Amino acid sequence: MATPYGIKLAVHLITNHFGNLVAKVCENLLRRGPLTLQQVIRYTELTPQQVKNSLLILIQHNCIQAFSFESQGGFGDGPKANTQYLALFGNILHRMRFPKFLEIVSRELDQECKELLEGLLQNGRLTLVQMVERAKSKRKDGCREDVVQEGLTKLLAAHFVERCPAPEPLVPEPVKVETTSKKRGAKSAKINEESETIEQRVLAAAGPMEAQRFSMITNTEFDVNGETSTDDSPSLIVGEKRKRDSLELDRESTAEEGEVVLWRANFEEFLRRLRHMACIENVRASLDDGAVKVLKAKLDATRGLEKKVKTEKSVPLSLDNIFEEVIKSEEGRVMTLDDVRASLVQLGCPASARGTADSYSIDLKKIIESAQNDEVESIVLKRYGRDAYRIFRLLSKNGRLVETDKISDTTFVEKKDAPKILYKMWKDEYLHMEKLVLAPNRNILLWKVNKRPLWEHVLDEMFHAALNLSLRAAYEWDKEKEVINPLEAMTKEERQKQKNIRILLDSSLLKLDDAIMLFHNF
Amino acid sequence: MSAGMNRSQGLSSLKRKQPDSKSPIESLTEHERILYNLIRSKQDMAIWTRDMKRETNIPDNVLNKSLKSLQAKKLIKEVVTIQNKGRKHYIATEFEPSKEITGGAWYVEGSLDTEFINFLKKHCVKIIYEQKIVTLEEILDTIRRSRAFNVEFTTQQIEEIVNALVLDNEILEVKSTGMGEFNSIPIGKVCYRCASKAGLKAEPKIGAMASIPCGVCPQISLCTPDGIISPTTCVYYTKWLDF
Repeated sequence: MATPYGIKLAVHLITNHFGNLVAKVCENLLRRGPLTLQQVIRYTELTPQQVKNSLLILIQHNCIQAFSFESQGGFGDGPKANTQYLALFGNILHRMRFPKFLEIVSRELDQECKELLEGLLQNGRLTLVQMVERAKSKRKDGCREDVVQEGLTKLLAAHFVERCPAPEPLVPEPVKVETTSKKRGAKSAKINEESETIEQRVLAAAGPMEAQRFSMITNTEFDVNGETSTDDSPSLIVGEKRKRDSLELDRESTAEEGEVVLWRANFEEFLRRLRHMACIENVRASLDDGAVKVLKAKLDATRGLEKKVKTEKSVPLSLDNIFEEVIKSEEGRVMTLDDVRASLVQLGCPASARGTADSYSIDLKKIIESAQNDEVESIVLKRYGRDAYRIFRLLSKNGRLVETDKISDTTFVEKKDAPKILYKMWKDEYLHMEKLVLAPNRNILLWKVNKRPLWEHVLDEMFHAALNLSLRAAYEWDKEKEVINPLEAMTKEERQKQKNIRILLDSSLLKLDDAIMLFHNF
Repeated sequence: MSAGMNRSQGLSSLKRKQPDSKSPIESLTEHERILYNLIRSKQDMAIWTRDMKRETNIPDNVLNKSLKSLQAKKLIKEVVTIQNKGRKHYIATEFEPSKEITGGAWYVEGSLDTEFINFLKKHCVKIIYEQKIVTLEEILDTIRRSRAFNVEFTTQQIEEIVNALVLDNEILEVKSTGMGEFNSIPIGKVCYRCASKAGLKAEPKIGAMASIPCGVCPQISLCTPDGIISPTTCVYYTKWLDF
């Protein structure tokens, strides 16, 4: 969901990190969708060299993905490739989350791993050799190669790092439905669009196979092949690769692997961790410690089995297995099997299952939705007051159209005040309104919370707010630098105050970003 | 606390019996009779003066005079409607205004009796926080036994109050699982519990967006990086950062 202010925020981030030229290229890709090199040159009015360099930087930092459509119908010509560049909106936003990613690794792994990840985040993508060099230059006492390799192995095992995707995958052209059945065509095209966006298809085609993705072992022959034969269809290579993999599974070729395989941070895994953390925090606010422990143990145990970030229900696990996980931790050891069962009931699992072999699955989507509701409701309370809060919660829970009178009755809001409050929220796009004409001079108004468009609207406002926080932080920073000259040095208190201002702005941005992820990624 | 209820009871005591002896109906003018019949025909729904005019075509001055006369003869009375307090409505004295007109138990003279409602709400919250988990019937029972109110509440009235508390997020509506804390309540029965786990009344958590100026800014749609309203010149920001 790249909303208007989402794009502005993304361009702002790119401008801060890579300057105006790169940002200009990136903005055009974000606003116009995938473009060829020629198109980017035309739209940006930059020189071909400037555009090429900008694209290379963006590719290096995983902000865009190149691909080409498989053109069909050509006989004998072979697939004609015309490279297009697709901006990865999500990845650009992840740039403001790097501190969060680093914190996860430093908490779960060690300093060595944190430094390796830091290198990958700063440089976008690196080979093992580059990682070793970086580690060596960082430490005076010198760093052994096997230490770096060990760190990378740990990062790969935890899925924090992955192989880079194919540089330019071939993507089949979107299936065009026959024009004979126009109506159905339009419908199915819409369904297609909803089920899979161009970004999803490109990323699916580019991503390495699951078995290869987190594996250090590599096939040198393939990598050489991948580098040189650009005319070859990568999809063919994928097929071949699979065959070769099975053939050469036991033939390890470790000699040159570091030079050719590019590694990068696996954002997906970090998002999964952050999503799980958000679920746990939300449960902590409403349920007791037992439920928190059980949820945490269950998510830790099944994290590796989740297929995508937005997993709706946690992977099923039997009561025995959950109990085993819970008692692994010191604080979990005080729980009995009955405690665990009761906590699962609190977490919304059916209470009927009495046996220990039955498997339990927790509705994560529901937890996320409840957190989203809390966030929006808290905005409504602050912006429109207590009466509006009650009205909004009524409509949000109800999900259907409700007439003004019924609303004021249920929420105990004065009849003359209710329409004013409703109108204010409607004007700000927080409510949906429908007019029902009963008679020529008598009509009633019906109101409803339309979650999908509203959530998108709130997200856009959040992107706007994040951009504002970031701009204000830059402004305060400039102000500080201007003042710090010998002539008008700040007093100690002034300096402390300025520091506090920046801490407040930075921490507010990190917190706001949690809310952005809640609506955008979870 | 019970002032509200007393006031509404006071309203009903205003109703007076028509004097039996000389029926004033006989001494009505033609216009008065037409108007009286029209008002009576509306029963407990009452009628707005403009609607009377539309239905009878009686000129304004005659209409007003006739209404005054009917009022003096205690045949009709004015009622305040909660929908449009400014619009004059009349009802025949033999009827009591309907719930649609008065707003029902929670209204006094056409206004929501917020003082009374808030008192009752607080009382319900207290009961729920003391008993941890309760059903609607248990709340009603506790109120009855406490004798804090000199009016009888119906189950529906208490349900309305409790539902509003759920919307306030002060209490939660939960279904009994029959286990643990629910062991005295049948499975599936709706009950109510405190919203915060510690049993202390807590304000709703302030979200990330609501705790920064932009989250509550009425001008956010007019704010742009280089516009008249911008994050670098924003007065709300300056106030926020001035600590």
